[in-house]
Amino acid sequence: MQAIPVETFCDGAGYPLALRMEGVSKRYPGTLAVDRVDFDVRVGEVHAIMGENGAGKSTLMKMLAGAFGDYTGRIVVGGREVALHRPAAAKARGIEMIHQELSLAQPLSIAENLLAGRLPSRRGWLARAALLREARLLLARVGLEDLDPQTPVEDISQHEAQLVEIAKALGNVPCILVMDEPTTALSAHEVERLFEIIGRLRRQGLAIVYISHHLPEVLRIADRITVLRDGRRVAQLAAAEADAARIVELMIGRAMNEMTIRRARAPGPVRFEACGLSRFGFFHRVSFTVREGEIVGIGGLAGAGRSELARSMCGIDPLDEGALRLDGRPVAARSMAGALRAGLAYVTEDRQREGLALRLRAVDNVLASLIAKRSARMAPAAARSVFHERAAALRLDPLDPSRAAGQFSGGNQQKLLLAKSLAVEPTVLILDEPTRGVDVGAKQILHEAIGRLADEGKCIILISSDLPELVGLADRVIIMRKGRFTREMQRGEFDEDRVLLAANADD
Amino acid sequence: MSIETDNNTIGRGDGRRLRIAWHAALFDALGIYGVLLALVVAGCALSPRFASPDNLLNVLRNVTLLGIVCAGVAFVTYSRHYADLSVPAIMAFSGLAAISMQPYGIGASLAAGLGAGLLVGLVNGVAVGYGRVNPIVWTLAMAFLLDGLLRWFYAGRQLYPDAGTRPGAFFLGLSQRELPGGFPLPTAIMLGVILAAHLVMKHTKFGAQVQLVGAAPDVAHTSGVNVPAIVVKVFVLSAFTTSVAGLLLTSMNRQGTFDTGLGYDFNAVTAVVLGGVSLQGGRGSVAGVLGGVLVIGVLLNLLTLLGVGSFGQMVVKGLVFVAVVGATSFFARRSGRGEP
Ligand SMILES: Nc1ncnc2c1ncn2[C@@H]1O[C@H](COP(=O)(O)OP(=O)(O)OP(=O)(O)O)[C@@H](O)[C@H]1O
Ligand SMILES: [Mg+2]
Repeated sequence: MQAIPVETFCDGAGYPLALRMEGVSKRYPGTLAVDRVDFDVRVGEVHAIMGENGAGKSTLMKMLAGAFGDYTGRIVVGGREVALHRPAAAKARGIEMIHQELSLAQPLSIAENLLAGRLPSRRGWLARAALLREARLLLARVGLEDLDPQTPVEDISQHEAQLVEIAKALGNVPCILVMDEPTTALSAHEVERLFEIIGRLRRQGLAIVYISHHLPEVLRIADRITVLRDGRRVAQLAAAEADAARIVELMIGRAMNEMTIRRARAPGPVRFEACGLSRFGFFHRVSFTVREGEIVGIGGLAGAGRSELARSMCGIDPLDEGALRLDGRPVAARSMAGALRAGLAYVTEDRQREGLALRLRAVDNVLASLIAKRSARMAPAAARSVFHERAAALRLDPLDPSRAAGQFSGGNQQKLLLAKSLAVEPTVLILDEPTRGVDVGAKQILHEAIGRLADEGKCIILISSDLPELVGLADRVIIMRKGRFTREMQRGEFDEDRVLLAANADD
Repeated sequence: MSIETDNNTIGRGDGRRLRIAWHAALFDALGIYGVLLALVVAGCALSPRFASPDNLLNVLRNVTLLGIVCAGVAFVTYSRHYADLSVPAIMAFSGLAAISMQPYGIGASLAAGLGAGLLVGLVNGVAVGYGRVNPIVWTLAMAFLLDGLLRWFYAGRQLYPDAGTRPGAFFLGLSQRELPGGFPLPTAIMLGVILAAHLVMKHTKFGAQVQLVGAAPDVAHTSGVNVPAIVVKVFVLSAFTTSVAGLLLTSMNRQGTFDTGLGYDFNAVTAVVLGGVSLQGGRGSVAGVLGGVLVIGVLLNLLTLLGVGSFGQMVVKGLVFVAVVGATSFFARRSGRGEP
């Protein structure tokens, strides 16, 4: 890897800076998303940005990546003031951003995605050999050397996609690298690998901005932490002198209690049964039951086939073998509408691509699944009241039914998605990474909501890579590995370490 | 972690998934040729005249102009701009411009014909690329506008190339000329244009950029691709092949009028989509489009041989279209990438 040229300038403490933003602001129609924020990154530093959903983290960094033509304030890169009004301008300054929402182009191959924007060519002809060679080198840098760069990205899993995005950004030899929640799709093992990569880049003098809701991660990897609240900078502190409780307090303006373990309750009758489910190549002969009011957690590594199982149960993907029964009656999960009518609801792990219609209003999104369930159209007033009831329970912010879904911050989109699934009042709720990209406060709200649903007697299947969440919420944990169920543990038999161990165990 | 990689990188061995993906890829690439083969077999069985060399050449001749138009329009669809509905207007404009300029020589005449088309393409591209106007609405508006202008300017008259002059004779000869061996020149041009378009789409940097723009415009933008510039080039390319077809059609008809290219817009979309270029952008190839064009040609030929009238032909064309679109979606769903 070549050396990274950085023209340096220094901050007050004498550290060389890669970047300084002075009093920058950005207004969306109706929202001041970033309000006169000062921010800088030193050369060879990991600077974390934390804050609640909607605090303005992504907006601040998109500004840096040249997404907006209309920000105000000064941005100084490498000692010179720059105008970053187009992505190309940011790239020319060595700024690369890995967006919170994955941004790979679907039918294209990994290689073409990695080198998009700078495809190697000779007199206009695509230099395919060079393309593949360079793509392999880049993949190797994120530990994906055994992935064929000619694979279309639609055939790789989310965690691979995340690493491919990182490789894509590295390929442009940036001097400032922004990562917006890069670990949401990664398992613990892959997070380690990412941290190794970040450590190496830092030693090479890259300036890294790291946005994450995961406190332990941030405390481990960051040198400094900036906390945003409502678009303002409320604090900037060295990671060494920060602790979790203090940061949370700065973020949400109040102290927060630990993740609570849900209290055990007497098991009800079995309501949902899955018998011998297979989709060839994804999962094999999977059987389990869910009792009334029970939360069954499915743990495992990314790529173990958990999402595929959920998707086949709900009729999104085909099922090759097996049967589903709800209250003894067979569920014909041939289509998602059929599954919905039968009482199954699925909260996808990929809210952007298949969860929400980003251009539709929030209220239309929440009511979208009702369309499949009821045939009649709802009166607007009734629709609004359903929306308010569902969204308010999850504390959607802002609680605005007519704002387009895409204009909510990432975490609030997640709340919208959950509200949408709850609107159909399902009997069985399948949650796939329900708190991905959600801040600590909102996470607690979602956890309480999930617990409440179980107490109301719903059957909940919870797929989560967030161990405290899985262990705290589930009554029973099933471990899935390479498409098969390998372990089942009752409440009291599992804790975070045991789940992790079982997920990694070679049989 | 090492930077060296093994050159014999192995794909992930997920048998089933690969197999489905492979089927789908094969269908994407060859599906339309399967349909073509079935039609040809059916044709041989149904009509003894069908397989004669004369008749087959006739099929090719009949789809020549459509093929040339589609080679360009495919790029518009590939870049997720659906279709260029100003196709008929461009064809008419090219033909009229070429005939008007014939007194000034062959070169001026052809340059005027092609230039007229390129100008319209440029305007389309700038409006859609930089102005962000909806491509369907814009190109349709452009079609009306040009149609009106041409009627007004030429007062509804037809223009005839003057066979007595050298440029006029040359122009009329364009569509009649044959290569040694009796192969019609326009059909050879069509095959050449299709081949070139295929290579551009699949093997050049420009083609890859068009694919990226079609598949994910936002990603293209954040990756530093100049999206509006690509859109302009796409519409100019489409207008270019369209005006080549317009010149040939005018030469064939021996006259230029404002309605020269009537019907070519929807026929082109049909063939492009039949040929596997997705309306969602980023999928398909020009080789597939040739298949789509040939299917339409064989089908219509066969129906004519069987004595089916033109209304019946339209119905059958529609049914085939429905069947192919259905099959494409089915395979897309099997491989887990249903269209949204
Ligand atoms: N395209 C948009 N149009 C209008 N408002 C927007 C748009 N995108 C974001 N916002 C608003 O701007 C504010 C900041 O959003 P931003 O996405 O920066 O938050 P964030 O800190 O990244 O949150 P999260 O942790 O949920 O990702 C929010 O109030 C959000 O509702
Ligand atoms: Mg964000």
